Amino acid sequence: MSASSLSRRAVLKSAAALAASAAAPGAVFAQSGGPLAFATWSAAVDQVKSHLAAFEKATGLKVDYSNSPWAQYREAMITKFVGKAPVDVLWVSDSWLPEFADAGWLAPVDGYKTLTAYNADTDAFSVDSMMHKGKQYGITYYTDFMGFIYNEDMLQKAGIAAPPTTWAEVVEMSKTIKAKGLSEYPMLLSMAQESWLIEFMAALVYSHGGRFTDDKGAAAMQSAEGGAVAALQWIIDAVQKHKIVSPACVETGELAGLKAFGAGQHAFGLIPKYRLRTLNDPAQSQIAGKAQIALMPKGGPKGTHATVGWMRFYGMTPRAAADPARAEAAVKLMEWFGGKANGEYTFQKMLFKDVGAGFGVKSLFQDPEMRAAYAKYGDIKVIEAQTALAKKKDVIAPWFGEWNDVNGAAWQQAIGGKITAEEALKRSAAKWDQLKKQG
Amino acid sequence: MTQAAVLARRRERLPFSHDERRAWLFLAPVATTLLVVAVFPIVYSLYISFWSIKLTRPHRQPFVGLDNYAQLLADPEFWHAVGRTTSFTVMAVTAICVIGLAVALLLNETFPGRKALQALLLVPWAIPYVANGLMWKWIYDSSYGALNGLLFQLDFIDKYMVWLGDANKTLPLIANAFVWKEVPLAALLLLVTLKSIPADLYAAARVDGAGALQRFLHVTLPALRPGFMLVIIYETMTAIRHFDLFFILTEGGPGDASHVLSWRIYVETFRNLSFGTGAAMSYILAIVTFALAYGVIRALGRNVR
Repeated sequence: MSASSLSRRAVLKSAAALAASAAAPGAVFAQSGGPLAFATWSAAVDQVKSHLAAFEKATGLKVDYSNSPWAQYREAMITKFVGKAPVDVLWVSDSWLPEFADAGWLAPVDGYKTLTAYNADTDAFSVDSMMHKGKQYGITYYTDFMGFIYNEDMLQKAGIAAPPTTWAEVVEMSKTIKAKGLSEYPMLLSMAQESWLIEFMAALVYSHGGRFTDDKGAAAMQSAEGGAVAALQWIIDAVQKHKIVSPACVETGELAGLKAFGAGQHAFGLIPKYRLRTLNDPAQSQIAGKAQIALMPKGGPKGTHATVGWMRFYGMTPRAAADPARAEAAVKLMEWFGGKANGEYTFQKMLFKDVGAGFGVKSLFQDPEMRAAYAKYGDIKVIEAQTALAKKKDVIAPWFGEWNDVNGAAWQQAIGGKITAEEALKRSAAKWDQLKKQG
Repeated sequence: MTQAAVLARRRERLPFSHDERRAWLFLAPVATTLLVVAVFPIVYSLYISFWSIKLTRPHRQPFVGLDNYAQLLADPEFWHAVGRTTSFTVMAVTAICVIGLAVALLLNETFPGRKALQALLLVPWAIPYVANGLMWKWIYDSSYGALNGLLFQLDFIDKYMVWLGDANKTLPLIANAFVWKEVPLAALLLLVTLKSIPADLYAAARVDGAGALQRFLHVTLPALRPGFMLVIIYETMTAIRHFDLFFILTEGGPGDASHVLSWRIYVETFRNLSFGTGAAMSYILAIVTFALAYGVIRALGRNVR
C-alpha cells in the first residue's frame, strides 16, 4: 500500500466526517458531554425504542433511554433532580409543571423557535397546558380527555334510543336498566384513591358548571352554587339513594373499572377517551363494537357538556439548556418525538394507531389515515366536539399532590356516607387555602 | 535502659494489649459497616427531623427545631391516625394471642397427623407480606372475591358485599389478614413454652384435685407468661409499624379509614416528599413502640426467669 493511497484514504475519511457533522451539527458537540439522557414513564416502551433507534440513525446522536413506572415517576424524577442525576429530556404531566418549573427542574423552551413553531398546529388547550407564568415548557406528547362512554347494546335492550344528555337522565335510564335486570350498577365510577381520581372528579365538577378554584386561584369548591358540591352530591345519591353506582366504587381503580365495563357489567361509564380503542377491540373486550362515546352529560341548571382534559409533554432540563450544543440536540430529540420526524407527525400517529393515545395536533384530525383509524372505534364528530370542550384542571399548583390526597379522602368519606358533600368540600377547600398560603 | 525494657515500657503505655488490638482490627470492618448503614442513617434522620426539608422546595429548607414535632402533636389528623393504629394493634394482637394459644394447645396434644399440621401451619408465616396482601385483596374483592363467593353459596348473603370499600369493615379486615400471617409464629413460640412446663406441676395439681380448667388456669397460663411476653412485644411492635397490608389492600382508604401512622409516614415522606415531618413522625412512632415494649416487659416480666 503506497503512501499516496493512504493519504487519499485519510482525506476521504476526513471529508466524510465533516459531511456527517454538517448533516447533524449537534452530534459532535452534544456527545462530548455524553449521550442525551431521556427519561419517560413506562408507556409505549416499544414505540419509543423504535422511534429512538430511527432518531439515532438519522442524526448520529446517542440517547440513553430510561423509564420508570407511572405510579412512581414523579417521585423518581424529583429524586433524580435533587441528586443531580443526568436528565436532558423527559416526559412531564401537566399536573407537575408548576412544581417542576418553580423548583428549577425544567427550562423554558420559548427561545427555541423549532419547537414553538408547532404551537400554530397545536390545540389551544395543549399549548395552555404547557404554559407556566407566561413561559412555555415543552412540546406535546399526547393529550386526552375524560369521556362519557356507553354500552349501545345494553341501551337497546332496555329500549333506550339515545344516550343521556344530562346527569338526571343518566339516573332515570340507569333505573330503567336496573329494573330490567340488565345491570346491578348501570353507571361505572372508578373513585379509588389513585392518580386518575382527580380526572373523574373534575369531569363531574365541570359538567355541573363548577370549578375547584376561582380566577385568583383561591378555593371555590366549597361554594354551594359552585357546582362541585352538586357533582359530589350526585355521586352520593347515585350510590346511596338510587343505587345505580356500586358502593365499591371507592375501591375501584381506573383499570379495574375499564375491565368491568369491557366485561359488559355497566351501561354508562366515565372512562378516558383513549380506552375506546381497547373497549372496541374483540381481543380485549366482550362489548367490542358496542362501546360508544357521547358528550359529557350536563348537570343542574348551570351544567355544560364540558369535561376535563390532560396533557403530557416533552420537557427540557436546565442541564441541557445550559449547554448550547446539548440544548440543540435536546431540541432535535423533542421535535423528533413531539413534532415532525421526516416531514410528518410519525410518533403521534404511531401512538394513536398502536395504543389509541390522543393527540393535540389540529392537522391530524384532517389526516385521512387518522380519520379512518378513528372511525373503526369512535365517532370522530363527537370526539372533535368533546375535545373542544375539554378544560385544564384548575387545581394545578405546586401543592397539587398534597391537596389531592386530602381532597380524595374527603370525597371518599362523603361517598361512604361518613360526612356530607358540603363538609367534604369545606375540608378540601380549607386544605387548599392552607397550602396556597404556605406557597 | 536496654532495648527490651524500652519496648516493654512502650507496650505498657498502649491502651490495648496485642490481642485486643488484633480483635479490634478484625471487628473494624463490621463496625464501620454498621456505622455507615445503621448508625449514620438513624442519627441523620434525627437531624433532618429538625429541618423543614421538602424535596419539591429545594431552595427553602430552614432549621425549625422542634416545630415539626409540635405541629404533628397539634394536628388532629395525627391523633386520628394514632387512634386507628391503636385499634388495629389491639384487635390484631388480641386475636393473635387467643388463636395462637388455641393452636399451641392443640399441637401440644398427641394425635395422628400432628406433625403434618405443624408443618402446614408454617405456610402463612413463610408467605411474604406482599403476596399475602395480594391474596387477601382477591379474597375481599367485592365483585369476584372468594369471600363473597363462599358466603353467597352458603346462602349467608343474597348479593355480593362490599368489604374493603366499607369504612366500618376496613380495619378489622386488614387486621384479619395480619392475624392469618402472624398466628403461626405466635403458636410456635407458645408451643415451645408449653413444652417446657414440667409434668410434675400437672401431677401435683391432679393430686390436689384440680380439674382440667383449674389446671389450665393455675398451671398452664401462669407458666406461659414468658411466651406471652415474647408474643405480645413482638406482635405489638410489628402491628404498630405495619405498612404493607395497608398499602396493598386499601392505600389508606376508603376516605381516611385506614390512615394509620405508618401510612401517614409513607404519604408524608414519599408522596409529599416532606422528609422533615416524615422523620419527626417516624421518631414519634419509634418512641411509642419502645415505650410500649418497655411497659409490656415491666408488666409481664416480673417473676419471669
